[in-house]
Formats: sequence, structure tokens, C-alpha cells
Amino acid sequence: MSRTTPAGPAAGNGGITTWKGHMRSSRRSAAAAALLMAGALALAGCAKGGGGGPVASAGGTPVQAQENKAVSAITVGGAEESRGPAPAVPGSKRGGTVTMIDRDDFSHLDPGRVYVNYLSTVSLLFTRQLTGYRQENGRLTLVGDLATDTGTTTDGGRTWKFTLKEGLKWQDGTPITSADIRHSFERLYAPFITEGPTYVQQWLVEGDYRKAYEGPYDGMSLDAIKTPDDRTVVFTLTAPHPDFNFTVAMTGYGAVPKAQDTKERYDRKPFSSGPYKIASRVTDKSMELDRNPHWDPATDPIRNAFPDRWHMEFGVQAQNSTDRFLADSGADRTTMTFHNPLSPERVQEVVGDPSAMARSVRGLTPYTTFYNINTKRITDVKVRQAIIKAWPAKQIQLVHGGEANSGKIATTVLSPTVIGYEAFDLYGTLAKPTGDPEAAKALLKEAGQPNPTIVYAYNQTPTQEKVTVAIREALTKAGFKVVAKPLNAGTYYDAIGPVDNGFDVYWGGWAADWPTGSTAIQPLFDGRLIADNATNYSHLNVPEINAGIDAANAITDPVEAGKAWAALDRKIMEQAAVVPEYYRTYFGLYGSGLGGVEFDPMTGLQYPLNVYVK
Amino acid sequence: MTDATREREPAAWSGPGPFLSVRDLSVEFATEDGVVHAVDRLSFELEKGTTLGIVGESGSGKSVSTLAVLGLHDPAHATVTGEIWLEGRQLVGADERVMEGLRGDAVSMIFQDPLSSLSPFHTVGRQIAETYRKHRGGGRREARARAVEMLARVGIPHAAARVDDYPHQFSGGMRQRVMIAMALVCDPGLVIADEPTTALDVTVQAQILDLLTELQRESGTSIILITHDLGVVARSARRVLVMYAGRAVEEGSVREVLREPRHPYTWGLLGSMPRLRSDVDLPLLPVRGTPPSMLAPPPGCPFHPRCDHRRLVPGDACAADRPELSPAEGHRDACHLPLARKREIFDGEIRGRL
Amino acid sequence: MVRFFLRRVAGAAMIMVIISVVTFVLFYAVPRDPARAFCGKICPPQNLALIRHNLGMDDPLFVQYWHWLAGVFTGRDLPQFGECAAPCLGYSFATREPVFSAILDRLPVTLSVTFGAAVVLLTFGVVTGMIAAWQQGRPLDKIASASSVIGASLQIYFVGPLLVFFAVDTLGLLPRPAYVPITEDPGRWFVHLLIPWLVLSIIFTANYTRMTRSVMIEQLAEDYVRTARAKGMSGRTVFLRFAWRGAMIPIVTIFGVDLATLLGGAIITEQTFTLHGIGELAVRAVQNTDLPMLLGVTLVGAFAIVTLTILVDVLYAVIDPRVRLR
Repeated sequence: MSRTTPAGPAAGNGGITTWKGHMRSSRRSAAAAALLMAGALALAGCAKGGGGGPVASAGGTPVQAQENKAVSAITVGGAEESRGPAPAVPGSKRGGTVTMIDRDDFSHLDPGRVYVNYLSTVSLLFTRQLTGYRQENGRLTLVGDLATDTGTTTDGGRTWKFTLKEGLKWQDGTPITSADIRHSFERLYAPFITEGPTYVQQWLVEGDYRKAYEGPYDGMSLDAIKTPDDRTVVFTLTAPHPDFNFTVAMTGYGAVPKAQDTKERYDRKPFSSGPYKIASRVTDKSMELDRNPHWDPATDPIRNAFPDRWHMEFGVQAQNSTDRFLADSGADRTTMTFHNPLSPERVQEVVGDPSAMARSVRGLTPYTTFYNINTKRITDVKVRQAIIKAWPAKQIQLVHGGEANSGKIATTVLSPTVIGYEAFDLYGTLAKPTGDPEAAKALLKEAGQPNPTIVYAYNQTPTQEKVTVAIREALTKAGFKVVAKPLNAGTYYDAIGPVDNGFDVYWGGWAADWPTGSTAIQPLFDGRLIADNATNYSHLNVPEINAGIDAANAITDPVEAGKAWAALDRKIMEQAAVVPEYYRTYFGLYGSGLGGVEFDPMTGLQYPLNVYVK
Repeated sequence: MTDATREREPAAWSGPGPFLSVRDLSVEFATEDGVVHAVDRLSFELEKGTTLGIVGESGSGKSVSTLAVLGLHDPAHATVTGEIWLEGRQLVGADERVMEGLRGDAVSMIFQDPLSSLSPFHTVGRQIAETYRKHRGGGRREARARAVEMLARVGIPHAAARVDDYPHQFSGGMRQRVMIAMALVCDPGLVIADEPTTALDVTVQAQILDLLTELQRESGTSIILITHDLGVVARSARRVLVMYAGRAVEEGSVREVLREPRHPYTWGLLGSMPRLRSDVDLPLLPVRGTPPSMLAPPPGCPFHPRCDHRRLVPGDACAADRPELSPAEGHRDACHLPLARKREIFDGEIRGRL
Repeated sequence: MVRFFLRRVAGAAMIMVIISVVTFVLFYAVPRDPARAFCGKICPPQNLALIRHNLGMDDPLFVQYWHWLAGVFTGRDLPQFGECAAPCLGYSFATREPVFSAILDRLPVTLSVTFGAAVVLLTFGVVTGMIAAWQQGRPLDKIASASSVIGASLQIYFVGPLLVFFAVDTLGLLPRPAYVPITEDPGRWFVHLLIPWLVLSIIFTANYTRMTRSVMIEQLAEDYVRTARAKGMSGRTVFLRFAWRGAMIPIVTIFGVDLATLLGGAIITEQTFTLHGIGELAVRAVQNTDLPMLLGVTLVGAFAIVTLTILVDVLYAVIDPRVRLR
């Protein structure tokens, strides 16, 4: 349900996260492992700032309904909720400088090129969208950000109208107009914008959006966006998209001023519409933000801007930042991190230290991991179900460092952070977390294949080698013959990308782009999207599911749509297209001199907007 | 030695006794295998302005004893006992700073291989000048002028230009001249030349020896000439000391020792040297056997295991008693054979073959 | 001398071209698509094609190389990034920074770390080695030799955090390691880099102690050293002026080789202390499949090593007139 994915494997652009939002790679394994470990703590019911705090269910007890409590708190607000200022934070104070340390610099700041969670987090400070998420006491509300409300549609989601608030200004004091918004969307068609989300681009034109339009820089404009006056923007989509107002909450659809658009160079220094502007920036080293005097809190229902300045330092490894937070001395007391998780070897120390725990941020991220089952190769659903039955979920979790260092064992495709999520456990994984070889054997017998061969491809890292041993043992016990194929970490995606990849089972991960089922399910399980290097790695192509996706996409009521997506989740699990692995969690620290540091369930990271210097 | 402006006149020694007197000098080295008795109760004297040749095989203690004169043995490993009197001063056990002041000034040394013995990293001028400045003080320019003067004096052409050259830019003979210039820069009373010509061509050898003789004549320096080459001794020295296994076995004037050698080892040395006029049909008379180990030198006369004449001494005294140098003065040798018997053997068996 | 120099420089240029070709070929030999780094989480195929075109990756390999090489001398106009003035090493795939300025920007950090550590290790290593040689066999020699063994067995990533913990966090003796430009404040530059220098040099220092000790002992047995003593030079003069001069040759030789290793150590040191140097760039370039940065860093590294080799040769000539160039 986030705009992007939390730190995963990224072979990508040095960004904090995956560029594909899936698959583990050794380079990122430290970050990934560090993320994993946060799990158990959230599970212990101590999640803070939303994101859900499911109760541990090690004994195989039924999944508790409260797991998705925080999620059901996500609501779609109206004009009332969209009014500024942002909800008050008790005890907060204005002034001071907050330091932010992290491993990586922000690879992109041009909104059109932002797709990863970490970039979205920093963008909250200076980039505004038409809509956004207001966070208050762990409850999330979709509200109008630049717009007066969350948009209106009268035809089931095909035409969307947004009205800009009054008094919106850029950092130079010029007004933010509908022409700027229109420009912000049109420029996404320019050839240099390739990294961001592409939903809206595809929804506004027919056919290949790259061929249809090349951006506004040569004077051409897009007919699908109309600006009847300075404060009104109307989008006409080629098909209904009832959750379009969620889509435009992505940083990728943030506002860029027409007069200040430096095209390629905008990425280096974007123009602010938010409470801060970039004062200086040294790539890979530091960035300074100071107040944008033209930002009016009365227009902004989302952003509290307590500190006067932000000082950001990059290149700090998780181990290093953890030690600094634990030492909590000098300027580090007013330091936080957006992304750097607790380093795994310090988890036990922190858990046993109440003063450190008081300065920790924990929560369930929108990121889920799973093992794809190649349905093109394993065509018999009973064989696929047997794999899930036999799967050694608990053993794998132990390899990853036990519950404390890994995520919560997953049993569904949807993450608990998605609207409408329903907890279910079709294969009794939580009851028998070490696998049920007898049940698997029975399924294989029914399928008439008592000893099918499974080609398991994995990243050749020490951890993955151990995971592979566990998988091989468990599947062999159920009668499978396992052929393990180690892959080079650097080329893992290239190897599993082709439809005809020759493997049966391989790891993957995903996070929805916004908290409805559409981006959690469609990219992964819409059979019409199967192509080389596409996201449907299980190659599932079931007409009933494809039709179900279309139907769910057409439902305008978020709650009803949520139910439809949950039903699809169950269908996909019945098809056994993936073996769910974890709902991942985040666990990080911050300095004792800060207040209001919260978990952001949208990004799965620390949340900057309510932070204040004590 | 003729420059009257100098404070000290090292060559003008006129005190009682000889210019250099070495008495009962012993040098022992402690090694992992045991104690090496490199020099064993060596005594000799050197008159002012004369040359003493010390001959002997490698390892006979020639170099070790002269290094003891300079006090160059590391006290951590070497034990030096006995007495060394230079101009009435006892050098054994003298303070290191006193010795530093003497080295290069009152006593200087010329080494065998001028290429390895000169610093490859410094110009010859600097090497000469620093010796001068160390002992005489004075500024760089004065010292440099002195270096040029010395180079010219030892016969290096274009000395003023070559003073800034490095040793590797000189030929072997020229390098040895540089060594000599360096040794003589402070007009030392005593120069110890350790095999100064061994590494040189025969023609150059003669030039170097002539140069040394000439310089000695000019400044009245005393020279100890260490060599294993009796030809060199014959040419340059007045007296000669033959060493074997750390001991003096024969001593006398060059004429006495070369014409009428008395010790069987000296016979062997002379016999191993080819002569232009000798009969080509007669084989040389090399000393049989090998030099003894200095870790455990033979008792009695150290030469007895190699001596062809020990059976002539009754009671095998050669293996039991150490023969002392005798007579007390003049041509002396250390052998149990009576003098007459030695003369007889030399005249009868040896002379004809030399 | 001039001819020798020109020859060496020409040779160095050749080496750099070869290294760049090898890097280029190796980069493309790996079946991995850097274009994907420029594509979103959901990456439509037409976007991938567009990116490949923007990056010039749809040209044949040798054309790409030629464009790159020409850019070094004449600059380039890159569609994805804009104008790039000569010497243009391209733009980083990951940060979109011009590679050349990124490297120039970080060079002072790496140079400070490397050369500072070199000074520390030479000072400590050589001085303790000389003390050990001077005091050969005596207690000081044994202490120096033993501590060198301990030093050699330590590791940067172990000593680094430990030293920070004690010297910075616990005792507050030194500020947290960071890079302050020397032009800005030499004093702060010094104190902030002290810990990295110590940590990086500590593993090398031991080698230099051992080596200096043994070559000094060797030199002290040389004929010309004996001559110097026979001239009346004091033990100290002989030790420092004569023997040391000879000992410098092997030390400089090994140091020339070690400088490359030291650069490698600087990478780990930069990682350990969060210093923004070339090492950090190199690690990122590999992580990010960032060819232009990888090429740039590789070439700068090669350039540094080749230059240092020439410098070491020149240093030989300064120390030893026997190899003085004509």
C-alpha cells in the first residue's frame, strides 16, 4: 500500500530500495536482513504509529483479526479532512535542526523520477501532490493535498476533477496553478523520465504512451488533461480507475512548476511546494533544507514542519548509525534516519534495553516476500499446493535469524497493510510451520505424480545456500526431487526474467504502490501481462482471475473494492501461484533529543512530518 | 705533516718508545658456535715513517688486529685484550669518543674494495670533506677546497671537476686514489692499508703502491700494509710480519724474511708464489692442508698439523708447547726447530725451488 | 631524463587505454542490463528501449567505446544528461553527476587518508624499525618486534569502531572521523583524520618495522658503513646518514608497491568511517552497475598507481646516484 517498496534487494540505481521492488540480492542482503528482523517486534503487539500489530501465532493458533486493524483505519477523506493545518502533535515544539543520517543519498528528487519509498519520504518535505495521506495517531486518511478534496468522479472513475486550494505558492512566491499541475503530468512523457510510475501516463492515452506523446517541451499538449480555470484540473482516462485519487498520491505525480522546469537537471534541485526548500546539496554527502517561507500551513492538512532546518548526511552504514543512536551523544541526540534499520547484530541488545526501545520505530511495511511457483511449468495445481504444504516456513525463518530478525510468516498475497486484507491460511502453514509432508504426499498422489522434479533457482549467497538446504530437505521428505540452481546475485533478475526461464520455484518480493489491492495483485497475477522481464513471475494466467481483476478495478467504493481484492487473494492462493514468505517489518532507532518520530506505514520507514526537537 | 699552522702535529711524535706498539693483543668473538680466537697474543711495533707489511692467509687475523687498532670491533660481540700504544696512548679500552677522534685523524684506513667501501650515495668530495670537517672543523668551502687539493695530490686529473662525482663514476684505480685521498686528508700519523691493491689490475697495483710510497715520503706517515701478496710487501715495506692463525710466526726486515725465511709457514708462502725466473719444470710448493678453525685452534704451534718438519722436533713439542718469537730483536720467528736446522733445511730443500 | 620521462608517460597512457578497454569489455561481458536501473518498478518494454537508446547502449560496443574515448578529449553531449565538457568521463548512471567532477570532488579525501596514513606508517614503521636495529637484541628491539606482530594481526573494520568507541565516544579525546577540507581548516582536517590514519596505517606499520630493522642491520654490515666509522664518524651519524640512506632503497621499493594496497585499504577505511572518498564511489559504482563511474574510478586508480610508479623511479634516482637517469 505504499507508493513504493521498502528496501529490498535493488540491483538498481543506488537508491535505497529495489528498482523493481522485488527479489533479494546479496548486495542488499544486509539491508534486507536488517529489515526482516523487525518482524517479531511488531508481532509482539508493540507496533507504533500504525501498520498493524498482529499477535504472535507461533503455536498455530488461528490468525487474529486485529492484524489488519491499522489498515482498516485507512479512510478516504473529504474536503473537511483536506483542510490545513496538519493534526497537532502533543508536546511538539517549533525550531531547531534535525539531522538525518542514512546509507544512501537520494538518487532522484524530480518527482517524475521518484518511485522508491526512501525518496518518497524525503519528498514529503518539499514536494506536494494532488492528494496525500494524513497520519494521525496511527490512523491514515487519504486527503486532498494541493487539491481541496480527494477528487471527484461522476462516471465511475473515468473523469476526475480536482480543484486546487487557494493560497498555494511555490518557493519563489508565485502561485501554484492548474497549468503547473497539467505540466507536471505532461512532462512525464518526456524521454528522460523513465524511472517513475507509469500508471497515469498509460491511462491518459491509447496504445503505447511513448509513441502517443513526447512531452510538453516542444509545445504539444495532452488533450486528456483540461484546465478550465487556474484552480481546476480535469483528467479524462481511457478507462475507469476508481482509485485514481490514490494513484495521484504517489510522489511520482508530484507538482513541478512549469516556469522552473529544468528538465534533466530538475532532478538535482527540485523547486519546493512544501514546507522546506533545498538550501544546498552535495551528491552522496549531504543535503541542507531550510524553511520555505511561502508555504502556508493553512493549506496543508498533512505536514507539520516543526524543525527550522534539516541536515542530512549520507554514506552512513546501518552498523554505524545503530552505534551512533545507541551512544546517543552530542549532535546524534537530535538525529534520526529515514531508512537505516537497526543492524541485525544489535537487535538483542536493543530489545533488552528499555531506554533504547523507547527511541525505536517499529511497524509492518507494505512489503511482502514470497516464492514464485512457475505455473507454466508446474501446471497441476495439486503439485503446486503440495509445494506449499511441504514448505519449511519455520526453518527458513530460523535461517534468517528467527522471528526477531525476520518477518512475520505470511499466508496471503495481500499484505495486512492493504485495504480489505483478510487473514486466512488455506494450507495450514501457521498450524504446521515446519511443513506437512504427509499432506503434501497425499496431494501428489492425487495428482498422480508422487515424485515430481522441482528446479529451485536462488541467489548464491551464504544465507540463501542455507535456505536452499532447508527447502530441499522439506520437499524431499514430501517426495519431491529438488534440483537447486544457484544464480549469480548480480544477474538474478536477468536469469529469472524470461518467461521461458527453465525454473520452477524462485524468490520474489512486492509492495503495492497504493494501499488498494489493484497494484498488489494486478502486476503479479494478471495473466494478460505475462512477458519477458514483466512482473508476473509466476506466469499465472487464469481467465477467472483476470476477469476478477477487471471487476475489482471497476468498483468505486474502497471498502467494496477491498472485499473483491481479498476474494481474489483467496483465489490466487487456491491456485497456489506463490508460497508467501513474510510480511516484512521495519525496526529502527533515533536520538533521544527528538520527539514525534513515527513509523510511516505508507513507506515502511520513519516518518519525517511530525518530528520535533525536544 | 709540514703545515706549521696545524695545532697538532701527529707525525711529529717524539716521545719515548716506538710510534705504535701492540702488545699481547687478543681478539675474541663470541658466536653461536663458540668463541672464535681471531687474534692470539699478537705483539709488534712500528717505527715512525716506516711501513710494516703484515702477510698471511685469509683468516689469519691480519685485518682483525688492525681493526682493533681503530677500535672498530663491536664491544657487544668482540673482546679485545692486551695493549695498543699509539704515540704513548693506550687504545684498548679507550673511550669511544676518544677513538672517534682518532679514527680518520691520527689513524686512518684504506680498504680493499674501493667500490663497496665508499658510500655510493655521496660524492667523493663530500666523503673526503666530511672527514676533514669532523676532525678539523672549518666550513664547507674550506673542506671542499681541501678535498680538491687531496684529489689532485693523489693524482686524479681535473680534480676540481671530479670532486662532485660519485664513486661509481670512477675507474677502479681512481677510486682507490680517492680512498687514499680520504685516508690522508687529515695527515694521519698511521695509515692502515688493508689489501689496498687486491681488487685492482696489476698495472694499477704498481701505481697505487708507488703513490703510497711517495705520499709516505712527503708526509712521514707510518703505514701498516696488510696483504697476502709477498710481492707487494717486497716492493713497499721495510719490515714484515707473517701471521698464521691469529699469531705472529715470523718478523723481520723485508730483506731478511724474503731472502732467508725461517718459519716453515713462510717457506710455504714463498713457495706458493710463482717467480718469473724460476724453473718451469719445478712444481710450486704450496702449503698442504687447510687453515685451522679458529673456534678450536690447534694446541702448541698452530701450524703443526700442516708442517712437514715437525718430526724433526723431539718429543712432538710442536703439538704441545707454543713456540714464542725469538730472538728478542731483529729477525725473529716462532718455531721449535733450532735456527741452524732451519737454515739447513732452507738452504738444502727450499731455496732452490723458490 | 626528458626522453625517459616521455617514454614513461606514453607507456602510462597505453596502460590506461588498455585498462579502459578491459573494463569496458568486462562490464558488457556480464549479462546484466544497466538500463534497468533507469526503469521504474513496473518497467514497460518501450521504456527499457528508450533508456538503452538514451544511454547509447544500442550502438555496437566499439562505437560506444569510441564515443567514450573521444569524449575524454573533446567532451560530449549526452541526451539523458546534457552537455559534458572535456575531460568528459561521462555521467554516473546512479547519481547523474559528471564522473570527472565526482572523482575530483572526492580525490582530496582519499589522498588525505592515503597520504596521511602513509606518513604515519612510514614514521612509525621506520622509526620503530630503526630503534629496533639500533637496539638490536636488547629489550627495546624485542618490544618493537612484538608490537609489530600484534599490529599486523589487526583489521581495519575491527580496530576502527573500537578506536572510535574509546577515543571518541567514551573518552572524548578526538572528534568523530570526518573530512574537513585542509584548505578550510588544517587543524580540524588533522584531528578529524587522525583515527583513520592510525587505523589504516596500523596493519602496514608492522611490516615496515620488520623490514626497516632487517635492512638497517644489513646496511650496517656494509663496507662503506665500516669505512665511515673508520673515518671517525659517530655511531649516530653512520646510522642516520649512511646506513639509513642505503636502507631507504628497499623501503621505497616496497612502499611503491604498498601504495596500491594502501589505496585499497583506504576504501575499507572510508567505508568504516563514512568518509566520502573515491573508495565509496568505487563500491557504489560496482553495486549500481554504474559503468561510467566504474571506468572513471578504475582509470583514476590506474593513473594514481602508474604515476606513483614513476615517482618511485624518480625517488630511486634521488636516493641512489648509481641509478640516476641520464
